[in-house]
Amino acid sequence: MINRRDFLAKTAAGAGAGLVLGTPGLLSAASASSPSNKLNVALIGHGKQGQVLWESMKNIPGLHFQAVCDIWEYNRKAAAGHVRALQKHTPKDYENIDDLLANEKGLDAAVIATPDFWHSPHTVKCLEAGLNVYCEKMMSNTIDGARAMVKAMEKSGKLCQIGHQRRSNPRYRFTLDQLINGNKICGQIVNANAQWNRAIKSSQNIAYAPKLTIKQDILTKYGFKDMHQFMNWRFFRDLSGGAISDLGAHQIDIFNWFLGAVPKSVYATGGNSYFKQREHFDNVMALFDYDTPQGQVRAFYQVLTTTSSGGGYWESFMGTEGTIKISENSASTEIFKEASPAPKDPNEPQPDKIVPLSWDHLVQRGFLGRKAAPVEAPPAAGGVVDARVSKPPEGFSLPGELNKPPHQPHLENFFASVRGEAKLNCDARHAFLSEAPIYWVNPSALSQQPIVFTKEHLDV
Amino acid sequence: MTTESTECCKSTDSTECCKSCPLTHLGYFYAALLLRIWLAVRAIQTGLEKYVGTVGSDQPIMIDGKPNVHGLTAATNIKEYALSHYHGVPEGLFKKFATEPLMRLPGPIEDGLKNLYKSIGGKINGEKLADAPAAWEKFMAEPVMLNMYNLVLGPALLVLGFTILFGIASRTSLFLLGLLYISLTWGLILIKQDDGISWLGIHMILIVMALMLAKYNSFCLLKKW
Repeated sequence: MINRRDFLAKTAAGAGAGLVLGTPGLLSAASASSPSNKLNVALIGHGKQGQVLWESMKNIPGLHFQAVCDIWEYNRKAAAGHVRALQKHTPKDYENIDDLLANEKGLDAAVIATPDFWHSPHTVKCLEAGLNVYCEKMMSNTIDGARAMVKAMEKSGKLCQIGHQRRSNPRYRFTLDQLINGNKICGQIVNANAQWNRAIKSSQNIAYAPKLTIKQDILTKYGFKDMHQFMNWRFFRDLSGGAISDLGAHQIDIFNWFLGAVPKSVYATGGNSYFKQREHFDNVMALFDYDTPQGQVRAFYQVLTTTSSGGGYWESFMGTEGTIKISENSASTEIFKEASPAPKDPNEPQPDKIVPLSWDHLVQRGFLGRKAAPVEAPPAAGGVVDARVSKPPEGFSLPGELNKPPHQPHLENFFASVRGEAKLNCDARHAFLSEAPIYWVNPSALSQQPIVFTKEHLDV
Repeated sequence: MTTESTECCKSTDSTECCKSCPLTHLGYFYAALLLRIWLAVRAIQTGLEKYVGTVGSDQPIMIDGKPNVHGLTAATNIKEYALSHYHGVPEGLFKKFATEPLMRLPGPIEDGLKNLYKSIGGKINGEKLADAPAAWEKFMAEPVMLNMYNLVLGPALLVLGFTILFGIASRTSLFLLGLLYISLTWGLILIKQDDGISWLGIHMILIVMALMLAKYNSFCLLKKW
């Protein structure tokens, strides 16, 4: 069982001066090797996620994209074209990362967005070559791969940021710092709930033009059975952790970050309800139990790739006085206030006259925006269903937005740290602490047994 | 021929005069003008929207009267037009089309173009491509035909919109706009967007009507063609 004290001890031991999951203490790197603080960057992997990162990186000043690497010529040319369009210079392109690391001198950083099973080998190689690394989550398809990344980071003394980009998102940081911790608007958080639901149409196999098929010897060399597997590696057990790590990792990380703890157990269930030929489950539901400083919290997570019902992706923290439902998609972000404050002692009898809970002062000071008053549903035709039905909670909104692509602040934090101007928001050790429980969701679902975590489950 | 025009011809004794006089066919004249303006506005604004992007507000959210330290900005996106925002085919559709086999040039032609590019060693007229169009390499890496279409669509809508609006070779402009809408229809057939196909079908009917009314067009800069 992992309690908060153990957790803090691990964090501090590993990171020097860590403060729970949210404030990694790993120091920032020394200044960039190149003059004028320009950073020489290598792009490792330029598929769909690599291009998402590119859309953010191209907005960050002071980066020089020196080389690109991808086993697919189609992606390499796309990367080269993107770089050329931005900096009027053609980067050197490589099929093999070893060739890139052997030939390219003066690199400061690598941004890795390869398939999950390549994350660990690529990250370790780059760290050992003296590069600072930004690597997409999930750290690896195996927990041992993730452990190797933490060890390589600490041995090399270089920076390794993992792509849990919500950790740098101002909306999330504001919510945690100002609303949950600062003004404690949730009261005691007792439950959390998150989901990523996606329609079948969005979960289909990724197609490719047969003409662009990579030669079989290259596919084999890099661990792919065929082109279909290369395009759809997320569905294969040897290459990926499946939907729970692909989509769930982001959101289960938010559970751990916001609650300031790691779970003590997980019980999961899953199956191939629709995509019967896929190796990974298409639907997974998981229950995590936490001991937090405030008390017990149960967190439920579901990733469903066969329905869009329930409004996409979000994380919800339900407290005795308020609930914050947050999402990278601001349209899915909502904050609710309970009608009355929770008595300090749950055994205390309800006062005759309940004082309404008010957040007016928070609205006036700018911490919250106000939404239209809720409409109370008329009683059912047959009369009151239950005498204890609650009033609909009052709705509020986050007061602001992120005016950049969602990955940009996290990349900015990484490059600023490489320059020595900031500290990483999610270094590999902190990411590991948060990701470790996720590696046990699929085993729990497969065995249909709960897993109570021990040091062996969660330690580096 | 309407009663109105018959009377005109009687009084002037000239059929040619009737055809060229807008007042003798006021209804047709107005119909042609309205269709012309509608089709022009539709094409021009659609073309302009290809250059649209949004930028987030830089206005920080104030907490207790001071800018917040987290980087939250006002929840407004500002729409702006810029060449750098250009996207002929919207990104989502572009990705769908990129996997369509029929969206490619015949293999030998596409290979020929790419080989030609390679044979000149990444140079055009002896100049390194860094000095040539910046997106050329990406252009060659993607399906060439789709890229060409992506490049042409926005400017084509703008040019045809303006030529129709100003009455420059109206018939040919309308015909070319029709061809452009047919090409859009073909793309939507490929990705099974039946609603969009019906929508474009209505545009085609309007273009055909405009062509039929073209002889009543006035205020034209170039009546020929």
